[in-house]
Amino acid sequence: MKPEDQHEPNIDVSRRSFIKMAGTGLVVGTIGCSGQPSGGEGWMPSQYEGNGNFPPQVRGRIPIDPQNLSITRDDRKCILCGQCAEVCSKVETVMYNYELPLIDNIPCIGCGQCTLWCPTGAITETDGLTALVEALNDPNKHVVVQTAPSTRVALGEEFGLPAGTNVEGRQVAALKSLGFDTVLDTNFSADLTIMEEATELVQRITGKLNAPIPQFTSCCPGWVRYCEYFYPDLLPNLSSAKSPMSMLGAMIKTYYAEKRGIDPKKIFSVAVMPCTAKKFEAGRPEMNHSGLKIGDPSIRDTDLVITTRELAKLIKLRGLDLLKLEPVSYDNLLSEYSGAGAIFGVTGGVMEAAVRTAYVQISGEKPPALLFNLQPVRGLAGMKEATLEIPNHGEVRVAVVAGMGNTHKVLERVQNGTGNWHFIEFMACPGGCISGGGQPRTALPPSDEVRSARIGALYNVDERATVRLCHENPEIKTVYKDYLGEPNGHLAHALLHTHYENYSMHLKKKVNS
Amino acid sequence: MSKGILVNLTKCIGCGSCTVACKMYNGNQWINERAETNGEHAELADENWTVIQKFRVPQPVETGKTNETNQEIWRFVKRQCMHCKEPGCVSSCFAKAFQKTEAGPVIYYPNNCVGCRYCMLACPFKIPKFEWDKTIPVITKCVMCGNRIAKGQQPACVSVCPTNVMKFGDRDDLLAEAKELVSSKDSHYVQHIYGEEEAGGTSWIYVSDTPFEQLGFKMNVPKKSIPSYTSTYMHSTPIFGAIWALVLTGLYFFTKRKDHVKSAENKNSETTE
Repeated sequence: MKPEDQHEPNIDVSRRSFIKMAGTGLVVGTIGCSGQPSGGEGWMPSQYEGNGNFPPQVRGRIPIDPQNLSITRDDRKCILCGQCAEVCSKVETVMYNYELPLIDNIPCIGCGQCTLWCPTGAITETDGLTALVEALNDPNKHVVVQTAPSTRVALGEEFGLPAGTNVEGRQVAALKSLGFDTVLDTNFSADLTIMEEATELVQRITGKLNAPIPQFTSCCPGWVRYCEYFYPDLLPNLSSAKSPMSMLGAMIKTYYAEKRGIDPKKIFSVAVMPCTAKKFEAGRPEMNHSGLKIGDPSIRDTDLVITTRELAKLIKLRGLDLLKLEPVSYDNLLSEYSGAGAIFGVTGGVMEAAVRTAYVQISGEKPPALLFNLQPVRGLAGMKEATLEIPNHGEVRVAVVAGMGNTHKVLERVQNGTGNWHFIEFMACPGGCISGGGQPRTALPPSDEVRSARIGALYNVDERATVRLCHENPEIKTVYKDYLGEPNGHLAHALLHTHYENYSMHLKKKVNS
Repeated sequence: MSKGILVNLTKCIGCGSCTVACKMYNGNQWINERAETNGEHAELADENWTVIQKFRVPQPVETGKTNETNQEIWRFVKRQCMHCKEPGCVSSCFAKAFQKTEAGPVIYYPNNCVGCRYCMLACPFKIPKFEWDKTIPVITKCVMCGNRIAKGQQPACVSVCPTNVMKFGDRDDLLAEAKELVSSKDSHYVQHIYGEEEAGGTSWIYVSDTPFEQLGFKMNVPKKSIPSYTSTYMHSTPIFGAIWALVLTGLYFFTKRKDHVKSAENKNSETTE
């Protein structure tokens, strides 16, 4: 072996390779450690990109309690556009209308307008479909469903029909195909509500009932909670009549169960509503009047509420095409309705229906043609007024308010005695239930064009109806004759009336709002 | 001048806008299955740089009265890095991954991080989190949107707050404002500004109408800054090193000389033999 060969293996590091290694290490080290500081890889909506210490006008979002029965939010979809806070504070005057700090809840009336304004669908109704599918699959349960007046004029939009298409028959067909045992119409109990509410109004006006005038409607759960939060001193003005949904819920578990011979415990009562606040209403502890009547307080009037959107979702999930279904009529118990009941879903509709019946109850005469087309209370204005001359009595002054932001002027006048109305209708959503928080999403924010189309469709139902007065609905007559006795009677009170809760200690109302 | 943020906890409504803004701006993932960002179970995590925690506390009682009704009230607390004036994390980091900027934010350079997690031990508020489930994990924490502040913007969370819970400005001004709030005649705030002295003062300062200990704030945080505990002897390390080097060098030469003498003596004896 040559001396060089012997020497070779021992040279691990030559001068050249050492410099190479050191150089590489230096370069890698310098590049590797010269990165950017962490944070700032994402984006923000442009309103937050302004320089300086100025708060953007439209910012943040509404707070939603995880326990909220009406609405929920998927944080991953929220882009902080601020629209929910806009509608909640400007249209419904809930957010920012209370003093901080909060007390022991996050004020929310459940109206769900934020779900219509949210551009990413981050805010939605709380899930009702899981419980519904479970109930439908349970052979021991008799699943009854009721559909609100407004769902039939909006459901079609989810299937490509123009706004305002009435899909009443196809909606029933879809519900039947989904496996509901019985499909009933809330329009019937809208008539029932008017019987109770108009009777109460007449009693208030004629002094038979020791309760303040004006009487407020109580069928909108968003408005009811709003009044409980912000105007507790006016709670006695609220009609004690329950909403159509809760009335029908109570009737289903009592009258319907008796007639059909079904154990009320086995009935699972579902309501398809254009409304997210109804989910909250159904969960109100006192909404178990049927249970109290039967003797089991755990029985609820309404077991589950789903929105129009949820119904559309379920129909699509089951692969049904609403447009291809043959229209079917409602089951023939608790489903007949008058034109007056049908217009409950529009702002001014409850008022129009109520004054038609109240007119007859007070005067004993047939209502004039004007009452079948009461233009002053129709339309999308936030506040509407009308004065009616009723024979044998005198003037009856009514007002209609939609959107909680429009209530303040009216309620303050009631509080200080300058408002001389007899009856005021309140609805939380602009336009009424037809653009409720559970209705199909439309333009952002919801446009009056769509609202008007849906409203037109409901007035159309009224115009075409043969019976246009609640008290002339033959089934209403039967129910009172066979079961309830008389309006505001003993049983009617037990099943169809409720009480309200002063909720103002849970919130400090902002002064000068 | 050093910037700060004044948090008025009485104004928080728990909407969680700030947590969303933080995720959006910093590109962090939603990990609700592991750690929520809003509510009673919310906690800071590697992807949650800020959270809103909900607390149910007894209603504060006015002096001279008793809480007879035992009413519970809700309070919401925003949590994130407090951005100490003299941060423990910065002093503990030998890789210079954490740096306190002049504007106030304590920013973090992930590329410098060696993953030793000393900062997690050094932080008195337990803020830095480690990405335990990543292959190449680093530390994460709120950086007070240092790059937004550098551009003249507010931190993301501050800019989105609908009820102005947070106010961004010079820390000294904000502290003066907080003192005025707390000490005003009919003040309903507790007589404590959290962050004024905690850990030697922090960029984020809090005022509240409910005692801080009921709201999950760490009350055993020392008033002295964390680096000040070790700074005296840590500052003497260079001198100590230099002296030690001198001693060792001396010893080396001493032993070397001893060996040299020894071997020379051996040689001498060999030659004489």
